[in-house]
Amino acid sequence: MTRRKGLVINDRQLDRCDDLLRKLKEVSGSSFLALISTSGQPITTASDDYHPETLSLASLAASSFAATQQLARILDENEFTLLFHEGNALNLHVSQVTDQVLLIVTFGRETQVGKVRLYTQRAIEVLRQIFEGLEDDATPEMDAGFEAAAGTAMDDLFKDV
Amino acid sequence: MPLINFAAREINYKIVYYGCGLCGKTTNLQYIHRKINPDARGKLVSIATEEERTLYFDFLPLTLGTVKGMQTRFHLYTVPGQSYYNASRKLVLQGVDGVIFVADSQITRLDENVESYLNLWDNLLSQGDDLSKLGFVIQMNKRDLSDIFSVEDLNELLNHTDSPVLESSAVTGQGVFETLKVVCKQVIAKTA
Repeated sequence: MTRRKGLVINDRQLDRCDDLLRKLKEVSGSSFLALISTSGQPITTASDDYHPETLSLASLAASSFAATQQLARILDENEFTLLFHEGNALNLHVSQVTDQVLLIVTFGRETQVGKVRLYTQRAIEVLRQIFEGLEDDATPEMDAGFEAAAGTAMDDLFKDV
Repeated sequence: MPLINFAAREINYKIVYYGCGLCGKTTNLQYIHRKINPDARGKLVSIATEEERTLYFDFLPLTLGTVKGMQTRFHLYTVPGQSYYNASRKLVLQGVDGVIFVADSQITRLDENVESYLNLWDNLLSQGDDLSKLGFVIQMNKRDLSDIFSVEDLNELLNHTDSPVLESSAVTGQGVFETLKVVCKQVIAKTA
């Protein structure tokens, strides 16, 4: 089977990510965390009662981060490794985990930025190991009938439009 | 470069509408957003100027549903068409799985089409992706207008890859879903 270089995540890796995000949420006092791909697709989230629209959030955060990287180049800086937005009630912190993965953290005014940055940085070191091990792990193959079944699903979705 | 999350049983593909300014990329997305079952789509996000010209991108997520146990999604993006927004176009192309090149069929837009087509391949090559694994379709838009190129002429000018070509009028919806379906099937075939 041939496949373009992409991001493929298995059960064990996702469990480790989820576990780490839960811990990071607890110790940092943040309200919502998400791992997303640099192409704007959500991987996993951790939240109690705050659930923003994840697909749009991932798309906008990834694009915004990519733009920040280009700003760094224009300013002759090697890279900007994080993006921070301060709001009235909520702050947004986006940082790079690997070339293909970003970490989004949101937190309220009651939480100190320094605390979030410290624990996020520690979490990223562990997350990096999880994602950098992806290529070494055997990943499951797509189901042989996926292409045909997806074709049928597409015909159904578009038939009345 | 699809994101395949076997643990969460999800697969996400990124499709980008590319083409010169005012060729109808955003109109394609707006038509899809308007016509498709609301349960199968998310919000249409647009980063546009006050004159409603795309500044950065438009984004529309579509859900195909659960296919062989995998929640399957297509993330549709447009790029800003005006030539001076190339830095933004490069960013939107990151991680792309399939491209729909929207050509403006009007004779007066020939130079803009060619410039945009060459710019697309420049940007794709600069990413270093394996282009044989990329889905690619050409949509000849604005077929409802007069003073347009023939399909054969446009094909000769803009299709060095011998890719599928579809005629459309994004304003009326003609060919919009047909184009999307072709590129979606291509990207799935190239992943499977």
